[in-house]
Amino acid sequence: MPKKPAMRRGKPALGPEKKRRHGPRLPTAMRRELDAMGPGGSDDEELSDAGAQDVYEYEEGVPEEEAGKNGRYDAVAKYEYEFDSDASEADEDVPSEEGEDMEEDDDGEDEEKQIRILQETTGMPREAFDGKKRKQPLELPLQHGDGPVTIHDLLDNIQGKPGYSKVRKRLQQQEKKTMIVAAPLPKVDREKLERGVANQELKRELTKWERNVKGNREAPTLFFENDANLGVNTVAAIASKFKPRSEFEKRMAEITRSSEIMEAHKNDGAKILELNKIDVEDVRERQNRLAKMRSLLFRHEMKAKRVKKIKSRTYHRMLKKDKLKVASAEFEADPEAIKDYAMKQEFKRAEERMTLKHKNTSKWAKRILKRGLSVQDEGTRAAITAQLQQNALLTRKMNSMKDDSSSEESSDDDEDENDSEAKILNRGKEKILKVLEEDKEIPNSGVFSLPFMERAMKKQEEAAYEEARQALEDYDDSLRKLEDDNTEQNEDSIKVTGKRTFGPAKNTHEDVNKRQKLHETESSDSEYDSDPAQHLGNNEPTTKQDDIQLGTALLDDEQNDLYKSFDDIMKNPGPKTTFEVGMLAGDSWKKVNSSKGNGNSNVNGVTNKSKLQAPPIVDPNPKQQGSNPDSDSEEEMVEGFLTMSDTKENYELPSQAELIRQAFAGDDVEAEFEKDKMEVLNEENPEPEKPALVPGWGQWTDIQQKKGLPSWMIKEHAIAKRNREEALKRRKDSKLKHVIISEHVDKKVEKYLVRNLPFPYTSKDVYEQSIRMPIGPDFNPAISVSALNRPAIVKKPGVIIKPIQYEEVDPHMKPDEPKRVIQRVTPHPNAKKASAKQSKGATSHKRK
Amino acid sequence: MAPARVNADKDAEDELEMKVEKYSRGKGADLKALRDKKLKGQLAVKEKLYGQSAKAAAKAEQWLMPTEEGFLEPDEDLEKTYRVQQELILKEVDLLSSRKPFDMILPVLGPYTIEYTSNGRYMLVGGRKGHLAMMDMLNMDLIKEFQVRETVRDVAFLHNEQLYAVAQKKYPYIYNRHGTEIHCLKEHGKALKLQFLTKQFLLTSINSFGQLHYQDVSTGEMIANYRTGLGRTDVMRVNPYNAVIGLGHAGGKVTMWKPTSVKPLVTMLCHHGPVTAVAFDRSGHLMVTAGVDRKIKIWDLRKYEVVNSYPVRAQSLDFSQKGLLACSNGSLVEIYRDFGGHDYRLYMKHRMMKGYQVGKVLFRPYEDILGIGHSMGLSSILVPGSGEPNFDTFIENPMETTKQKREKEVHALLDKLPPDTIMLNPSLIATVRAPKKKEKKTKKEIEEEVEEAVDAAKNMERKKKTKGRSKPSKRAKKKEEDVFRAKRPFLEQSKEADGRPDKKQRIGEEGELPKALQRFAKKPQS
Repeated sequence: MPKKPAMRRGKPALGPEKKRRHGPRLPTAMRRELDAMGPGGSDDEELSDAGAQDVYEYEEGVPEEEAGKNGRYDAVAKYEYEFDSDASEADEDVPSEEGEDMEEDDDGEDEEKQIRILQETTGMPREAFDGKKRKQPLELPLQHGDGPVTIHDLLDNIQGKPGYSKVRKRLQQQEKKTMIVAAPLPKVDREKLERGVANQELKRELTKWERNVKGNREAPTLFFENDANLGVNTVAAIASKFKPRSEFEKRMAEITRSSEIMEAHKNDGAKILELNKIDVEDVRERQNRLAKMRSLLFRHEMKAKRVKKIKSRTYHRMLKKDKLKVASAEFEADPEAIKDYAMKQEFKRAEERMTLKHKNTSKWAKRILKRGLSVQDEGTRAAITAQLQQNALLTRKMNSMKDDSSSEESSDDDEDENDSEAKILNRGKEKILKVLEEDKEIPNSGVFSLPFMERAMKKQEEAAYEEARQALEDYDDSLRKLEDDNTEQNEDSIKVTGKRTFGPAKNTHEDVNKRQKLHETESSDSEYDSDPAQHLGNNEPTTKQDDIQLGTALLDDEQNDLYKSFDDIMKNPGPKTTFEVGMLAGDSWKKVNSSKGNGNSNVNGVTNKSKLQAPPIVDPNPKQQGSNPDSDSEEEMVEGFLTMSDTKENYELPSQAELIRQAFAGDDVEAEFEKDKMEVLNEENPEPEKPALVPGWGQWTDIQQKKGLPSWMIKEHAIAKRNREEALKRRKDSKLKHVIISEHVDKKVEKYLVRNLPFPYTSKDVYEQSIRMPIGPDFNPAISVSALNRPAIVKKPGVIIKPIQYEEVDPHMKPDEPKRVIQRVTPHPNAKKASAKQSKGATSHKRK
Repeated sequence: MAPARVNADKDAEDELEMKVEKYSRGKGADLKALRDKKLKGQLAVKEKLYGQSAKAAAKAEQWLMPTEEGFLEPDEDLEKTYRVQQELILKEVDLLSSRKPFDMILPVLGPYTIEYTSNGRYMLVGGRKGHLAMMDMLNMDLIKEFQVRETVRDVAFLHNEQLYAVAQKKYPYIYNRHGTEIHCLKEHGKALKLQFLTKQFLLTSINSFGQLHYQDVSTGEMIANYRTGLGRTDVMRVNPYNAVIGLGHAGGKVTMWKPTSVKPLVTMLCHHGPVTAVAFDRSGHLMVTAGVDRKIKIWDLRKYEVVNSYPVRAQSLDFSQKGLLACSNGSLVEIYRDFGGHDYRLYMKHRMMKGYQVGKVLFRPYEDILGIGHSMGLSSILVPGSGEPNFDTFIENPMETTKQKREKEVHALLDKLPPDTIMLNPSLIATVRAPKKKEKKTKKEIEEEVEEAVDAAKNMERKKKTKGRSKPSKRAKKKEEDVFRAKRPFLEQSKEADGRPDKKQRIGEEGELPKALQRFAKKPQS
């Protein structure tokens, strides 16, 4: 415990330079001002510093074990250390110990004396020793001999007192162990450890939710049921369920529920009522007192209002001064107030840093700045600068309270000295300027002969005021600049954001445009596709039609009708592409007709039927046909078997081919079909043009002609040909001689197809297999329709979804096995089980 | 006893399993190959649901659709089912069924064609010489009979018996149940054959010029009008699976059409002579064609290959709901049955009176009855095993009440499919589109576009501005800017066409990143 006095005594022994290094660092501006005051002022400051030291002592990194924080450190070791250090310390300690010794001997008078001696020797104020005395309840035993004080010496002193044996035992144990207290870990490591521990804890806390969340995510459906509290809870109902748990509650319950007290309570009803009786006098007195208080309050309020309205500057100044006086008086009276004040000040500073209240953010300041400082009168300008100064003061970084208090003092002094704040400011500026110039002079003394320096020297005194003003203006300018900067920054930021948002937006717009363009082009493509065909159709069929009309003009009326309708259809643009084919087909039929005319009469009826519209022919026709098959089938019936042996016939007919050929002589259906197919193929995959030179090009010389076609042309042609071949091979009907399957892509169908594979799927097969099953009510039994179409979340409107709650989840449970109910209907623990059972039953019923 | 039961149980289980397989509609995806865990989980859950649904459906079928079609079964190997005459069958069947076959001799108004509603309850009869009649086949009630006094080539019911279309001498007409003429469809021209696509509400006709017309009967809109270009034909059938129209042509070709394609989807050379009849299986995978070259061919429409070919002549063909194939030839009607592997063998035979020419054979839905329209009237015969014994009242209900009929009509209209949905493989819907080659614009086209844009920019009118801002120099400058702006997207496009943006640009981009984001930028590999 003697540590503190030692420290204090040690302090003054240090030199002033050293102390300054330890003390709070003054801001440069202050220091400059101080310097301007001259060397004489420094003494004062020193003194004041010394005075302030009592209050705010700057302590340099006392190790924690020494400070005895937290009681974490071994007491024994500390004692030894302390005493050692004391012993090693210089002679100064000796008198103090002596003093203390004497203190023990004498009681009252000696104390005075001793303090005086101490004061003289150390040169420290009296209070320090007083305090020390107060704080030192333990009296050190007399020390015999020169050796250091050990714990045993101390123990001897308390021998025979209660608890002595205990202490001794512990001591012995400790001595046996002779443990060495390791140096505490560095702060960084300690914090790291702590963080690690905290992290682990947090992780555990967080990962316990994983199962719950995973289950919810994997569940195909979540059920949110209304958490309607159906059981009506009253206070009495809740109270009746109360069971005492803690010790205190139990005891209370014991007392309140003991039969005696209950009975007494019952009997005491009347007594309690009696106690409730109040005297009339008392009531009146109370009322009077209340009324008085109310009126006083009201008056105080009125006064406050009036005072608040006072706008007089002098009045407020006076008020402020009074307040300050009171405060200072308080400071002197008690150190607690100082602490409070310091706290308050610190708070203010923090607040200022937070709000920047004095940094021209107020409406008033803004207005003035907007108008321009140069336009304002001196008073307002001064006010603004004062405000800024205050801001600077409040936001300045400070290391300790000492500096703060000093600055406050100085400002207080200023206020005392001067009448108007503007003047204070100006003066301050002047001072600053002077200081600056002096600063300049000192380093530039070598170049004193420079003309501008001389000029400056001359003008120094006269221009001081003006320069101050200039400085002020500069200050204002800088202020304005600051503001401008702010606005510029804002603009910049806006620009940046603008760029950011603008870029993509533009892109998307362009994209859309592109898409539109693409669409347009596509549509136009399709038009292009159809257009030429139309033109062709328009040109060719008309001529052909003319021919036909010439040829068939003498046919019956019905056919005239036919061509009329042809004309009608000509106007329709749609099927014109096919029209041509149709006409071609007609031509071929003509050919057939002519060929028939030459040869067979057998098929005549059939062709007639299909070519010419002749209703009466229909009747005989089937008859004619019917007679043949009748006989055929009868023949087969005679055989008794109608199992057709030649199941798979080729197109090269083996035996009956001759017959068929005869029947349809000249009507080579197959060849025609092949031709048609080729046409279709060429239409869908056009044959590449044969390489040819434009006459006159590339044929200027013999060599060129001999070379023939350029190789690139041949190559290109070959590639195109190969591509076509491949395309034809890829066709579905490439291997089917008798089938043409149109490869034409129907755009109208495309809207029913999926353009890209939907997101989670990566393979087409999986996707298509997943949609193979219809889920509608037409294709599924009623039982499974609802299950197939259940949404991911089942929730009635109006149900409030509460935050997730922790519950134990079996990790091996499948996600859809129990119905995953997030919120159950019943909040009551009794009813909960029942509902859970019910819901389970429901699911099992639903899902089987 | 015990082993028998075990066997029965096992059989039932197997049957159920088969049905489950049917209802699960193919196998699910191989989930083990999936990498995405989330997707895997979701799909696993989905598959499970599908499995449950299929099982439930199989069970429902087991309990709700217990009836099976019955066929004529020969007692011995030598006995042939086609030897069984109608009289023999009539003796054996129940009273209700015995009332169903009939012969109606109507010699005056010429060869008859017939048509059933999709639920099989009503029959429409059209005589070539203008005789029209509608009958309720459940109670053999004649609902309406009248004469149009002109040629009637074909009849077709629309979505129900309330409306039907008749292809007459010049145009098809639509009549209602009471014989009132509702519409005259002049655009169709002289229609030879009519077909109605129930799901799409499209009335299809092929006229004497070989033009195929699609008309939406719910809106009256003409959906499509295509020239087949293959001459006149009266052979037309709808594929019930995908609503694709199959046309048989004189050149031996069969073409398949949909309303959104100008060209036929598929052209097949089926016969060497004119095609006389086409019919499609209910599953849509089988097509049967008959030609003048005395052949019936059965085609697999998935491969476009002949499955079987029989040397039989046929004027008309029809598949029953259960897959029996009827074909008429002169006065003879033959019915073939699939004995596995598309091996169609003669199952029944029915001969009309000598000289009667059968024009059309048509199986009645949900009944074991074949309707025959011939030159001397119409008749119907019993064909065991032809109709679907279990009907789903939500789809087709032969016994439906008026209220149900109305309901169904509304539902059908609400569920009407757009004509675009007709395609060869309707299961393609919602699948991923095959990647197609990008059609690049030619240079010329691009140039044209640029020119257009520039012209537009140049011709843009500008405001007249005051205070010297409309000086000629300023205007010129502005114009230049506008033109440049118009050009810019094309320039960028051409850049994009190259593939990657310039290297320079990329570097610039990196520099442009704000400071805070720069550390996320890709570091240049050094």
